[in-house]
Amino acid sequence: MALTPDTGLPGTAGDVEAHAPVEPLACGRDAAEVWDHAEAGTLDEHERSCPHCGAAAADARGLEAMVGRLAQEPLIPPASVVDRVVGAVLAELRPRDLIPLDSPHGPAALDATAAAAVLRGVVDAMAGMRARSCRITRPSASGGTPGPAEVAMTVTARFGVDLASATARVRQMVVAAGEQALGVPVARVDIEVVDVFVDGAFVDEPGVAR
Amino acid sequence: MSDEPETTYRPGDALVARVAAEAAAGVPGVVALRTDLAGTLLGLAGQVVGTKRAPVVGARVDGRQAEVTLSVVTRLGFNCRDLARAVQREVGEAVRAYTGLDTLVRVTVVEVLIDRSPATPADADVSAR
Repeated sequence: MALTPDTGLPGTAGDVEAHAPVEPLACGRDAAEVWDHAEAGTLDEHERSCPHCGAAAADARGLEAMVGRLAQEPLIPPASVVDRVVGAVLAELRPRDLIPLDSPHGPAALDATAAAAVLRGVVDAMAGMRARSCRITRPSASGGTPGPAEVAMTVTARFGVDLASATARVRQMVVAAGEQALGVPVARVDIEVVDVFVDGAFVDEPGVAR
Repeated sequence: MSDEPETTYRPGDALVARVAAEAAAGVPGVVALRTDLAGTLLGLAGQVVGTKRAPVVGARVDGRQAEVTLSVVTRLGFNCRDLARAVQREVGEAVRAYTGLDTLVRVTVVEVLIDRSPATPADADVSAR
């Protein structure tokens, strides 16, 4: 464990932020060098006899003992550690798709996946409709400013529902939720009804609700 | 001519990050602040060795300017755009008041918590007519 302080020379951590020189001990020796010598067991005659160097060497030995004790203690990770790490890794790996939010105070954005989840939730709350997928984008308008959002959804409908009026209602709800829940104006909603379902029914035939 | 020694101070990145985190957490509608992978791992390491959690806000100080980047989790019912603006305003003012730095606040709403509840008759009904 080298304890010599950052020199601030090129190629060292000092590139990031230069540090002020370390104040030498009262005897003129560099405390960090004394620490290194104490750790390596190479204290010279002055360092062995000088009270200032002796105090610095004692500090180094005390720290080494404490670090050694901590290093030997068994690590007991929290029970949720795997879930949190996996979640963080997946979130990091997933290319984040962001929708810009209008703000006079600086850059602001909304995760497109979160926005889509909100819109899916709105459709799921409607009787007779269920959302399958949702994608929301906000292409740039002229001048580089973000234009209104465009939403593409796939849904399933309860068997017997009037599809024309149902999709009109979905469109209305999506536009309202975009403005009220997300703060994003929605200019276009493309809805594809991909299937129908029957409440509580399990039918094996392909293309019929399960 | 004053005999007082010249004194300067520079607010550090971690200081700005902690002030920003405190201010952001106090904004109504902010359920949590989300950190990146490095922050998560630092936080877990901090828990294991018993130290304080790493800040969940990214901050960088450059001269008299600070840049704060934070990711927030909110709940359905709070307008994401209005929430982002409120966070930017509150964090910017808090950092400026505490450090004197002009602050650019980047906010990303990364998750909206949705309370799932069974549909009620009052829900929009699009059943067959």
